[in-house]
Amino acid sequence: MTFTSWQFGVFVAVVFAVYYLPPLRTLQVQWLVFASLFFYGYGQPQLLPLLAVAVFGTYLFLILALRNRQIWLPVGIGFNLALLAFFKYKFLFMDAGSSSLSGVAPVGFLLRLPLPIGISFFVFHNISLLVDLTRRQGSPPDLTSVFLYIIFFPQLVSGPITRAEMFMPQITPKYFSDIAFVEAAKWILTGFFFKLYVANNLNEMTSYMDFPLYETLQTQDRWLLVFLYSYQIYADFFGYSAIAIGLALLFGYRLPVNFNLPYISSSFSEFWTRWHISLSNWFRTSLYIPLGGNRHGALRTYLNLMIVMGLGGLWHGAGLSFLMWGVMHGLLLVIERPLLTPLKSIDSAVFRAVRISFVFFCVSMLWIFFKLPNFDHAVSYLSGMFTPSTNLNPPKLFYSLAVLYSLPVIIQHLVSGSVFERTLRRAEPYLYGSMAALMYLEAGPETSFIYFQF
Amino acid sequence: MERMSAPRWLARCALSAALLLFGCGLATAWFGNSLQVPATTTRDGTLITLNRYAREPIPDVVLVGSSLTFRLKEEYFATPRLRNLALAGGSPVTGLEIVANQPRLPRLVLIETNVLSRAPDAALVERYSRSGGAADPLFFRPVRTAVAAYENWLHAPLSHAQVASALDQLRKQPPSNFDNRVYVERALQQFNDQDPTVVTLASVDRVEQLIASLEARGSRALLFELPYSQPLEESRSAKITREIVHAKFPAPDRWLPIAYSRPELRWADGVHLDERSAVIASQSIDRVLPALLGSQ
Repeated sequence: MTFTSWQFGVFVAVVFAVYYLPPLRTLQVQWLVFASLFFYGYGQPQLLPLLAVAVFGTYLFLILALRNRQIWLPVGIGFNLALLAFFKYKFLFMDAGSSSLSGVAPVGFLLRLPLPIGISFFVFHNISLLVDLTRRQGSPPDLTSVFLYIIFFPQLVSGPITRAEMFMPQITPKYFSDIAFVEAAKWILTGFFFKLYVANNLNEMTSYMDFPLYETLQTQDRWLLVFLYSYQIYADFFGYSAIAIGLALLFGYRLPVNFNLPYISSSFSEFWTRWHISLSNWFRTSLYIPLGGNRHGALRTYLNLMIVMGLGGLWHGAGLSFLMWGVMHGLLLVIERPLLTPLKSIDSAVFRAVRISFVFFCVSMLWIFFKLPNFDHAVSYLSGMFTPSTNLNPPKLFYSLAVLYSLPVIIQHLVSGSVFERTLRRAEPYLYGSMAALMYLEAGPETSFIYFQF
Repeated sequence: MERMSAPRWLARCALSAALLLFGCGLATAWFGNSLQVPATTTRDGTLITLNRYAREPIPDVVLVGSSLTFRLKEEYFATPRLRNLALAGGSPVTGLEIVANQPRLPRLVLIETNVLSRAPDAALVERYSRSGGAADPLFFRPVRTAVAAYENWLHAPLSHAQVASALDQLRKQPPSNFDNRVYVERALQQFNDQDPTVVTLASVDRVEQLIASLEARGSRALLFELPYSQPLEESRSAKITREIVHAKFPAPDRWLPIAYSRPELRWADGVHLDERSAVIASQSIDRVLPALLGSQ
């Protein structure tokens, strides 16, 4: 069940209506857990037992780690990482097309299970639960609250990755009168608008980046599509995150903001404080700082950055393209690190614009490895950007449409939020209403969210 | 500034959305289909061509086919009232179904038989097979229609008279010496890997039914084959398709009698004719059309 399906609309309406019924107030958490299980099992019920194993297992390790953190915390983290590794990276070590994946029937069954949707996200929630709640000794939370934290449906599939210490205290009775309706509506409308109007329409064009279609493209269109994909992946993931935040608000929960205008970053380190913020924070607190962060000299810092970004790349998928994407980002972070202070001392708007453009250019070029997980295809696409095309009948892309579908991302990044706040406050509901109408009228063909594959 | 209450905010938001939708609905009701020019991103002119077919008076001659026939631009033909409904990446059966499902038929339907190994596009057939043409969307789509109007203004369809001298110039030039070996090898491998038997058998059966239906309603249908480059002519897929089609339609008078000088032809990729060759093929078809239309 995707956020953009009518079934999901009905699902949310029913869950919302029941959630705030006064007689059921004491069962709100249980009701949300039930709804989240229904949401997850819809279409793929065979994966529900896996989700149950992950949650029950994590809960067991949480109780044990509260008694002895030194032993059971690493075991609990290892259990979750093993789950992730098994489902995400198993085909690095065996042939997916093999008729007999293993001689043992139950193992064969497990090996044949598809990649569970959202596993990368709920595994990180599990680890956060173990790390955050065992920092201080106390009684363990009840199982239902743990379930809700891990499988809360707005964030289950693609985040934002919420820290347990931020979410768990929010599990209290919720009242209809406390709902931040306007804020929720703004997030939800913005999210759907970016997904349906921007991402889905741009996807029609960027599908030409896939193999072998990209071989038919003119050289200048290869360049154009790289930047269109940059807008698309932002609109797609920002859209999803915005919908998740808005939906969570309807149920009285506040999820962390996941994007903060990443394409106006003037450095790569700034980019990672603005793009997929919840994942960046997770990696910083759970990997970079435990590795030593920047506390052991320059060389060790560079090594830590490369390790974190490399693993960040592999977190997205078991492939050379994802690894290359992460490593290249790590390399850019390493290269810019000694330059940051001198660059900051140059106080010039033009220079800042140049830096923003450079960061955007590099980030966009690296998205090629995201779009084309087959490394050979990614390299082939890249090399084609620097050689003239020989195809006599290239596909036609309408540049005017490309501009109009990218415009919301460009406006959002270039027009300061304070301008909207100051001058358009009174027009705000009309603007959001227009966005709602436009996303219905101009919705692009249905495509799943890009981050669902992770 | 005082904050607006949530009910007022939501009401204004809903009202503006409703007004915009109402406005677009009203525009659609007033202007009808003529505003629904689809500005497509990746399907080239397919939908535009089909929309024109559904909206404008029925032509005398219609070509249906695949990307091979798609290269034969309408402006290459001197015959007036001719439409090319070939679908790049599609099956000739799709166009044929759409033509056969219209209330009025052209006098002559020319059916390309090179590529019958693709299933017809049921969604496209459904969309353009209702009486009155393409399905009327409920709402006017502001952005796409504006872009479509702009693109149509920028690239208005050319008439044969406008391009006749340029076509003459093109024909006077020598055949292209473009080195297409890489593309031919790739296409040949694909053509040899494919076994088109199953879908092609189903397609020729459907073509036979549709021809019978068209001719029962007073139209005439003829088949034609466009040439491939020599290596592709010998490929497994091309041979199997040709055998199946000719076994189903052995009568010579079922085939369009076209003649061209094969040494003059070149292929951009071994499969699709280059522009000059497409003009030559189009004009060879063009030459026999007056006799066919006159004999009806």
